[in-house]
Amino acid sequence: MRRSLSILVIFIAIFVVLPGILAVVGGGYWFRVTTTIGVFAILTMSANLVSGTTGLMTLGHAGFYGIGAYTAALLATGLHWPFYLTLPVAGAVTACFGILLALPTMRLIGIYFAVATLGLGEIIHLTLLNWVGFTRGPMGISAIPGIALDGLFAASDMGNYYAVAITAALTAFVLGRLAHSYYGNALRAVREDDQCAASMGLNVVRLKIQSFAFACFFAGVAGALWAHTTGYISPGDFRFSESILILAMIVVGGLGSLPGAIVGAVILLGLPEVLRPIGDYRMIVVGAVMFLSILFLPRGLLGETSVLSLMRRQFGLAWDNAKQLGWRQ
Amino acid sequence: MFDIFFVQQLVNGLSVGFIYALMAIGFTLIFGVLNVVNFAHGEVYMIGAYAGWLSITIFAPPLFVVILVALAIGALAGFGLERIAFKPFRRFRDEASLKSKAMREATLLSSLAISIIVRELAEKIFGSNMQTIPQDYLLLTPIQIGPLSFASGQFLIFGLSIVMLGGLQWLLKRTQVGLSIRAVANNPMGATYVGINTERTIIATFVIGSTLGAAAGLVVGLYQGAIFPAMGFAPGIKAFVAMVMGGLSSIGGAVVCAIILGVAESVTTSFFAQGWGDLVAYVFLVMTLIFFPTGLFGGGRDRV
Repeated sequence: MRRSLSILVIFIAIFVVLPGILAVVGGGYWFRVTTTIGVFAILTMSANLVSGTTGLMTLGHAGFYGIGAYTAALLATGLHWPFYLTLPVAGAVTACFGILLALPTMRLIGIYFAVATLGLGEIIHLTLLNWVGFTRGPMGISAIPGIALDGLFAASDMGNYYAVAITAALTAFVLGRLAHSYYGNALRAVREDDQCAASMGLNVVRLKIQSFAFACFFAGVAGALWAHTTGYISPGDFRFSESILILAMIVVGGLGSLPGAIVGAVILLGLPEVLRPIGDYRMIVVGAVMFLSILFLPRGLLGETSVLSLMRRQFGLAWDNAKQLGWRQ
Repeated sequence: MFDIFFVQQLVNGLSVGFIYALMAIGFTLIFGVLNVVNFAHGEVYMIGAYAGWLSITIFAPPLFVVILVALAIGALAGFGLERIAFKPFRRFRDEASLKSKAMREATLLSSLAISIIVRELAEKIFGSNMQTIPQDYLLLTPIQIGPLSFASGQFLIFGLSIVMLGGLQWLLKRTQVGLSIRAVANNPMGATYVGINTERTIIATFVIGSTLGAAAGLVVGLYQGAIFPAMGFAPGIKAFVAMVMGGLSSIGGAVVCAIILGVAESVTTSFFAQGWGDLVAYVFLVMTLIFFPTGLFGGGRDRV
């Protein structure tokens, strides 16, 4: 009962109230901001699975986001695939790249893994930038068809909003089920002590690769959404600074907490927009927010432990409310 | 293949490599002592360049005064950086939390936040376009040695780097400060037990590392004449790569790898387009991590 109520409230907020407000305010600009926040929420949630839940700091998430965006853009402009095909295909291609590129780095831990993903992200960025014959290099790919279905609806701000919102909700559902299950507990065990987890019979390398592949899949989907909603992508959208922004969002929201990832994306992208009147100082404010939140809220705005029990209480599909502990099978 | 052009590129690569080396040492010193990555090091490099540019445009002093000013500002920047971005996160002093992942990530992100703030402030104050050094100070006087031609800036790079590297070796091996730095790097708890002032040692490390970083920034500013707020990013990443290749806490290894990196980059750009040259550093990085996970000159770390 409580579960369906919380889900209903969130659904109404995302699919009725928010687009209603945006339509009344009537700002194409605010639609743009909201879809950007949605795309980054998907990115942050997916990076949170690797960096927060599995504990592998990734500094190259923007690279995988870029692979997804370029896959979708090239398929849509070259082969004229519609968005409902490019989205999953971009995700799958990115996941394959993720597995391929990450296989050799999976035995690295801690700072070494972070550095390796930084290198991978930069390699991807530089390849997108310099392989002019395939990706058109710094010119980017323009005139990417928007989110539209022949005969049903044309590309519009509202269509973009709903595409991003539905994808983000699906991502939150899938990643939430992953993170708040036995599987998520296994990932957390790997984060806390991988040797101990291995001695308990968990296949650490397989878990790491799986979580990385899931994260890459959703990063690719986010990239495809970005390509379709903006209509133009260039390698500049997928630089190291974007990876850092994603990481900052996770940290501000709380490492390992799924709602925190969304809150982080809303804050770090919404704040510069709200602070637009003070103009050039807004990036300084973003830096200051990041610094202060690390200083005073080291666990983030929504810390992992409190959020875990909250999520289980409100949405826990396998959580026994009567006993408050244990799992219904 | 070993024609003049190639040798020329090698020399250019060496000078780039020395710049990376100066920066990599700062990274390595700080990583060795605190076990954390200082992401604001690129901003110290930028501050060094701006300090040199400001002192030239305002006072127009002789070159060695410019160098001294930049070094002093760099030292000050290092001190401030440590106080703001690192000190507040050392609330827990035991060895477990000094080495713990959460603490390391907190300082990694706080230094990142500080670097964003500093860069944006510089952009706000000086504008984001390039500042140019006045022509008289630009070290581009060509010097012909046989068939090779050098810019005078390259000699400054070589000279200053060698002096600073030598000075660092002397400092680390022969002085009280160096001894305490090495002691804290080896074992912070043990160093505290034998009466070493850890706090002061950490500040000293930051000051030394940042002085070297600022020197690198100044020299690049004088040699290439392009100073802008985001200039520290690329060399910072390269120096970071050099540090990882060298095995994270080995200064000699970082210097050798930085020079290898610089030479490899400039040789690559003579065969491929400029853009692919940047790729070299990252390919080296990933290759090193895959085949030599502890770095080319790393000590016997048991797990990576």
